[in-house]
Amino acid sequence: MKQICLSVETSDILSQDIKKIIIVDVVQAVMASDFSISQFRFLERLLVVHGHWCYKRIAQMICYFFYKNIAFGLTIFYFEAYTGFSGQSVYDDWYMLLFNVILTSLPVISLGVFEQDVSSEVCLQFPALYQQGPKNLFFDWYRIFGWMGNGLYSSIVIYFLNIHIFYNQAIRVEGQTADMAAVGTAMFTCIIWAVNLQIALTMSHFTWIQHLFVWGSVATWYLFLVAYGMSSSLISGNGHQILLEALGPAPMYWAATLLVTLACNIPYLAHISFQRAINPLDHHVIQEIKYFKKDVEDQHMWKRERSKARQKTDIGFTARVDAKIRQLRDKFQRKVSSLSIQTQP
Amino acid sequence: MNPRGDSTSGSDGAPEPRRKSKKPKYSRFTQQELPACKPLLTPAIVVTTFAFIGIIFIPIGLLSLSASEQVVEIVYQYDTDCIPEQLQNDKVAFIQSSKTNKTCTRTLTVPKNMEGPVHIYYELDNFYQNHRRYVKSRSDKQLRSKASETVTTNCAPEATTSDGSVIVPCGLIAWSLFNDTYSFAVNSKIIEVNKKNIAWQSDKEHKFGSDVYPKNFQMGGLIGGAKLNASIPLSEQEDLIVWMRTAALPRFRKLYGRIETNLAANEQITVTIQNNYNTYSFEGKKNLVLSTTSWIGGKNDFLGTAYLTVGSLCLFLAIGFIILYLLKPRTLGDPSYLSWNRNPDGHY
Repeated sequence: MKQICLSVETSDILSQDIKKIIIVDVVQAVMASDFSISQFRFLERLLVVHGHWCYKRIAQMICYFFYKNIAFGLTIFYFEAYTGFSGQSVYDDWYMLLFNVILTSLPVISLGVFEQDVSSEVCLQFPALYQQGPKNLFFDWYRIFGWMGNGLYSSIVIYFLNIHIFYNQAIRVEGQTADMAAVGTAMFTCIIWAVNLQIALTMSHFTWIQHLFVWGSVATWYLFLVAYGMSSSLISGNGHQILLEALGPAPMYWAATLLVTLACNIPYLAHISFQRAINPLDHHVIQEIKYFKKDVEDQHMWKRERSKARQKTDIGFTARVDAKIRQLRDKFQRKVSSLSIQTQP
Repeated sequence: MNPRGDSTSGSDGAPEPRRKSKKPKYSRFTQQELPACKPLLTPAIVVTTFAFIGIIFIPIGLLSLSASEQVVEIVYQYDTDCIPEQLQNDKVAFIQSSKTNKTCTRTLTVPKNMEGPVHIYYELDNFYQNHRRYVKSRSDKQLRSKASETVTTNCAPEATTSDGSVIVPCGLIAWSLFNDTYSFAVNSKIIEVNKKNIAWQSDKEHKFGSDVYPKNFQMGGLIGGAKLNASIPLSEQEDLIVWMRTAALPRFRKLYGRIETNLAANEQITVTIQNNYNTYSFEGKKNLVLSTTSWIGGKNDFLGTAYLTVGSLCLFLAIGFIILYLLKPRTLGDPSYLSWNRNPDGHY
């Protein structure tokens, strides 16, 4: 449960001791709460801007986490069927270790920390966007299973395309065939690309940090392969010089990477394009208005929509006052009507 | 009473200390106002992307497919063929006996002109080189240098001989080294098979030491494969190096050698196979493959077909989206699509 602490400004007329007691209480409350704001007027921003962003960020982050780990993990399972279920992994241990540490974690963190579907001014102007949270539009079962399905589809495409491309024939003009290290490295490259391109398609707000993390993760993978390959063969085993010697000069490797990456992301792209065309959500429309600067051109429309985006609430002090007035009015009317019945002979 | 104490402090003798502002220092990073690009997925971008992918992929697919079609391949399965008729009932006994004649001579016809170098592979089927216990069963340290000869940690049961002396190279991978041999002749003239440079250069230089010689290899009761020449260092035993690179799938090919000359169409190649390797105990298959290569590698239509499929699918999607945008146009930024305009009673 989220706790919010509101602290009160202490007036100068209070004695030092009482101020200390209040400050200690406030500090303890701040430490115990999830969020703390110092003035009531900050509550609006907290809810409508940060609450809205936080909901979207967390929902997208969790769904994406499921997706990328399913896409990665299931490929290992599929390989088991081809190894007599002996438990051999198609990937080198180091690849699997680094997957969740450095190769795919930073983009998700940047999504969870920096993502903004609309800017903070728009959030304040359109409080109705906050309702996407309570209505749970972004973390319902349809989305969760959709992302999981996307992960399942990606894992199937990555695995089977790579296996059948690097089947048993030569992979280079010099005639060498692909061993398990080559197939594993190629498959892992495809996963890294597919997963990072996917998050780039999901994000709508790109600062330099997001660009650095997303494309940097892919670059880190290649740099790691080079460094790993250059390390002693006692450390890298069959991964020794895998990129520079075996896979790098093979056009088949790069062709497979390109094919598999795009094959994994095309369904998602088609899906979001279709959704935007047929059934756009509020933030899509507002993003378009801001993108084409229609709010500047047509100020009247913008003002009108902003006022419509504020809805009278049915909770809170004013609402309770209204409800009380309604209740008293009903009581009075009933009394009046019962009196009038009594006075009728 | 003025709730804010500081404005009426002028009546005091001493000046009121100025309240320090507790507002945190502004920075674009902490206020989440970093400059950002917010790309929008407009219909133009959608159609362009799909069309672009389609236009790029289809030629790549056609190129790959044509390269694969140019590759000429001869595949000959000889494991059942090379056992004499009368001994077909007990193949395992045939292969394990040292008295049977394992030489097998067959004729292959070259279907099309094969430009050198023609690569010779042996292809095994149902052989799980990717089994976890098998893959583990080697000692990289031992292979690398003579000083680590006794490091045989994962090699059991092929780590030491019965009297405790160490086996070099140890482990099941080396022990099961493939030992069929092939020799080729055309019109009774022997074709030379180049067995140099079939292994990766880095393997020869860094993985297999030039001071490591085979020792006590295949001396045990159960012989798993080839014997090694004890006077040649491991860095030059290219067959062993190629074999030790465990394959990914149970059906795999490994490079045996190359024929540097061209093979003309309709030539009759006489191939003499020494059918030594026992794949009969586990119903494995053995094939001899002669194949040319193209710029992309060996014969595999899958890459080309996959590219063509994905490319045409993208073009189809591009056309589909064009039709969709024509049939159901939606002006971008049209506020009538906002939920409170579409759905006045409930916000969305």
